[in-house]
Order: sequence, then structure tokens, then C-alpha cells
Amino acid sequence: MRIASLVSRIFLVCTPLALILVIAAVLGLFLGTTYQSIADVLSAIVTKGRVDSTLATIVWRIRMPRVVLAILTGASLSLGGLVLQALLRNPLAEPYILGISGGSAVGAIAGMLLGFSQLQGVAFFSFAGSMAALLLILAITSGGMVMKKDSLILAGVMVNAFCGSIIIFLISLTQDRRVLNILFWLMGDLSMSSQTQVMVLAVLLIPCTVIIFLFAQPMNLLLMGEEMAGNMGLNVRRTSLVLLMTSSLMVSLTVCCTGLLGFVGLVTPHLLRLLLGPDHRVLVPACIFGGGAYLVFCDLLARILPAQGEMPVGVITAMIGAPLFMFLLWRSKR
Amino acid sequence: MPENPQSIIALAPNITELIYTLGEEHRLAGVAQQSDYPVAAKSLPTIGAYIHPDIEKIVALKPDLCIAINDGNPRDIITRLESLGIPVYVINPLDLDGIMRSLLEIGKLLGAGRKAELAADGMRARIERVRLFAARTTSRPKVLFQIGNNPLVSVGSGTFAHELIIAAGGENISSGSAAYPRLTREQVLVLQPDVIIITSMTKGENFDRARTEWNQWPSLPAVSNGRVYVVDSDLFDRPSVRLVDALELLVRIIHPELFHTD
Repeated sequence: MRIASLVSRIFLVCTPLALILVIAAVLGLFLGTTYQSIADVLSAIVTKGRVDSTLATIVWRIRMPRVVLAILTGASLSLGGLVLQALLRNPLAEPYILGISGGSAVGAIAGMLLGFSQLQGVAFFSFAGSMAALLLILAITSGGMVMKKDSLILAGVMVNAFCGSIIIFLISLTQDRRVLNILFWLMGDLSMSSQTQVMVLAVLLIPCTVIIFLFAQPMNLLLMGEEMAGNMGLNVRRTSLVLLMTSSLMVSLTVCCTGLLGFVGLVTPHLLRLLLGPDHRVLVPACIFGGGAYLVFCDLLARILPAQGEMPVGVITAMIGAPLFMFLLWRSKR
Repeated sequence: MPENPQSIIALAPNITELIYTLGEEHRLAGVAQQSDYPVAAKSLPTIGAYIHPDIEKIVALKPDLCIAINDGNPRDIITRLESLGIPVYVINPLDLDGIMRSLLEIGKLLGAGRKAELAADGMRARIERVRLFAARTTSRPKVLFQIGNNPLVSVGSGTFAHELIIAAGGENISSGSAAYPRLTREQVLVLQPDVIIITSMTKGENFDRARTEWNQWPSLPAVSNGRVYVVDSDLFDRPSVRLVDALELLVRIIHPELFHTD
């Protein structure tokens, strides 16, 4: 495909998605669990909070970090799902499949039980846990010229299952109300977001998305099978390793801030693939904008729909995403 | 901490109760969900559940002070509120003495030190009265304090209920180091409790059924003597002055023989 037409295709796909993302982000700033008129919010933004500093605090220090975290998380999880579905050539692959959900949860719960707070200790323990699980899986399944994808999947399932039992054990040990904090973490929670945290996260994640975009064409080649891809000059082992480590790093970084947000990483790549086709050079930027927008919308609904409190975001992502996907699947078969 | 806070947020229902006890409820700008005692508290604006407070709602109420509880409120909320410039005072009542101390601490913060001292003295006097009553007899009936039905969960040392049982002159049959131990019916049959007290954590139906379930085990002294009771869980679970109400209720349940002249 010519470079010019590729670029224009990417542009055609990403402009509407980016627009949707911007709309979602703006709605996320204007709407929340407390009610203000549009004029009030606008004036708080324009006057930089000189007139109403409370509203400015709400918009910039509470809602904005949350929206940015949703964008970063949605993009990372969708990219993670996309990469793993390509690497493992398995449509059920999702970003947590290689031990990340189990490892990060064990780490996070251990951090909570040791008395750390989310933003300091728990996030660190969670990241360490998911990286440890991933490295364990790689150590066991590595060897040979290519990575056996079936071994990877099986090892991932085993690690997640083992960690699952440790998690239940730790929960049964928890006699006090921390058990509820654990539950919130396991359900996924975007409320623990701060300006510094999302800035650090953005700085770490943006280079990762660039790397994955650079490996988009190799991902297309991998879909043809490792032998074919190797014959076309691709260093399959190195490509697989880079993709695996980068996407796992991205997912681990977001999980340690938000807990285990399910479903986004599985369904967004499929949704976008049904709409836009299988070319990863288009899908990668689409996942970034589309995944981000989707999670921002779902988080907004999770905040404003309930009369009291907020719903877990994971409930909304599945409730909307699953029927939407089924509908698109049905339509695509006709 | 501010000198004369006018816009306080109580981050847990028991803190709401303590502030009402001090008569300082006019300073309250917002309360945690489930702040249902006294009834007047139900009409105050809420800021979410105490285990997951909504920071946007808190900030929107423009508080000059938030009062949090160590066991219950997530630590992150406290750090975030402080980073937004909102002072947070954390109480940590672990037993009856701790509640009295929290009352005095909050009283000092709200400029109601004298009222706090009176309230704490009142609590202490009522607790002493119960202890004296219980000291009149050497019998220490075995009490099963049940907070969950399937599985059967009881209370161990370190819980308020345990402290109340001991102060009311009873013996807690599941007093071990685990705070909320799970028992099997078999274990209960071996332990032979004289009194079974069931708390209505989910109000009503569920725990009346628990009581009728015990009727299937007439070999238990508690069942054969008709000493199976259902009590309001809010009374026994919240670190507030109502725990003393719970204590007075308990001593009547555990030692009815001391009250037959009343």
C-alpha cells in the first residue's frame, strides 16, 4: 500500500475517533457527581478559578485527572488486547492473559494489607507483582527460535489461577473493612487519580504507544503465521519480545493505578477490527483514540447514572460493549 | 486544624452521631451515606459511602474540616483531601475508652470541650453502673454473638461486641484472636452457649430465620431456655455513644435475674 494512501486512511479513521475522544473528554469535565451549569463551568475554566476556586478545583484537580487516566487506561488496555490478539493469534486474548491480572492483584492486596495507601505503596507492589508474573512466564516458556504461543497462554492461565487462589486466601484473612477496599481495586476504580500521577503515567505510556505503532506492520505479518513472517524477513522472536514487553509494561502501569478494569482490552480491538478491517497500522491509532474515548464515556456514565455513589466502571463497559459487539458481529455476517 | 470550623463533613456515620451527641450538628455541611441516626441526620447532604467517599461531592460542599475514622475510610481520600487544602482529622476508636477519647478530641476541635466532657462522663457512669450490676453475680453465661448466618460468623477479641459481652458479665465463646471467626454448627454444639444473640445486619427476615434455625438444636441451653435474641446491628457496630445503649441491653439479656425486681 502506498505511503500516501496509508497516511490518508489513518487520517480518515482517526479524525472522527479523535473528535469523539475530545467530545467525551469535554463532557467528562463538565459533568460529574455534583451539578453545575455549563456557564459556571466555562467561567471557572476561563477565569482560571479566580471567581470560583471550588469549581476550578473540581474541574482541574478532580475531573481532569480522572478523564486523562480514563484515556490513558482505555488506550493502553485496548492496545494491550490488540497486541496480544496478534501475537497469540487468539481472539480471546486480552491484556491480562499473561499473568498480569493475577500478579498485579496479589501485589496490590499485599500492599494494602501491609498498610500502604494506593498512590504510594499499593501501586508499586501491584506493578512489581505483574512484572514478576510476566517474567516468570517468559522464563518458563522461552527457549528456541520462536515463542510457543500455546505455552504462553497456558502458562498465563496457570499463573492467573494460582494467583487467584492466593487472592481468595488473602481476602479470607482480612478481618476488617480493608476487604472492601480490596474489592473496589479488583473491580477497577478510576477515582484514585491525581494530576502528578497522570502526568507521570502519560510520560511513560506515550513512548510505548509509539513503539507499538512502529511495530504495526510486523503485527500484520505475524498474522500470517510465524514461519511465513520469518520468510518475509521478520525477526519473529525479537518482534514478539518487544511487543510483549511493551504492551505488558503499558498494561501493568495502568493496572497499578486503576485496578483490574475488565472487558475493555478484550472487546475494543474486536469492535474496531469489525469496523475498520485487520490492518494494524490503522488499528493501533484507532485503539488509542477509540479505546480512550470508550472508557471516558463509560466512566462518565458510571459517575452520573446512579443517584447515590458511583457504579463500578467495569459494569458499564461490559453492559454497553457486549451487546454492541454482538450487534456488529451479527451485521458483519450478513 | 481550623479554630472554629463552620462547615464540617463527617466521613462516617458514627462520626455524625458523635457530632449530634455534642449538640454541634449545626456545623455539619455533609455526612457519609447511612448516617441515619438521629433521624434529622438523614436530611443532610451525603458524600458517598464511608468506604468510598466521593471527593467531588466533598469539595463541592466547601468544607473547612473533615473528620475521618481510621478503620473504614480509605487512606487515599485523606491524603487527597489534604493535598487539596482541606484539613482532615482522623479518629481511631478501638474500644469504649477510645470512643470517649474521640468524643473529647472532636469536642476540643469544635469548641465544645465542656459538652464533650459531660457526655464522656455520662458514658463512663453508665458503663460503671453496668459493670457493678454484673459484679453482683459470679455467673458468667456463655454467649454466642452471631453476626452472619451462612456462614456462621461470630466475634472475637478486639471487637466492640466482645468488649460489651465481657463488661455485661458474659463469656464470649468465640473469643480468640481472629476478629470475625467462622464457626461450624458442630463447634457451637460442643461449646453449648447459654445465650445466643443474633444481629440483624440485613434487617428483618434473614435473621428471624436464623433464630428459627437454632430451634432445631434443642440440646443447646440457649434454645431449650428460650434465650435466643435478635438485636439491631447498628447499635452494636458503630463506635458511638449508642454502644452504651447496647451494653445496657446486653446486661439485661445476659443477666435477667438481676433485673426481675425492676
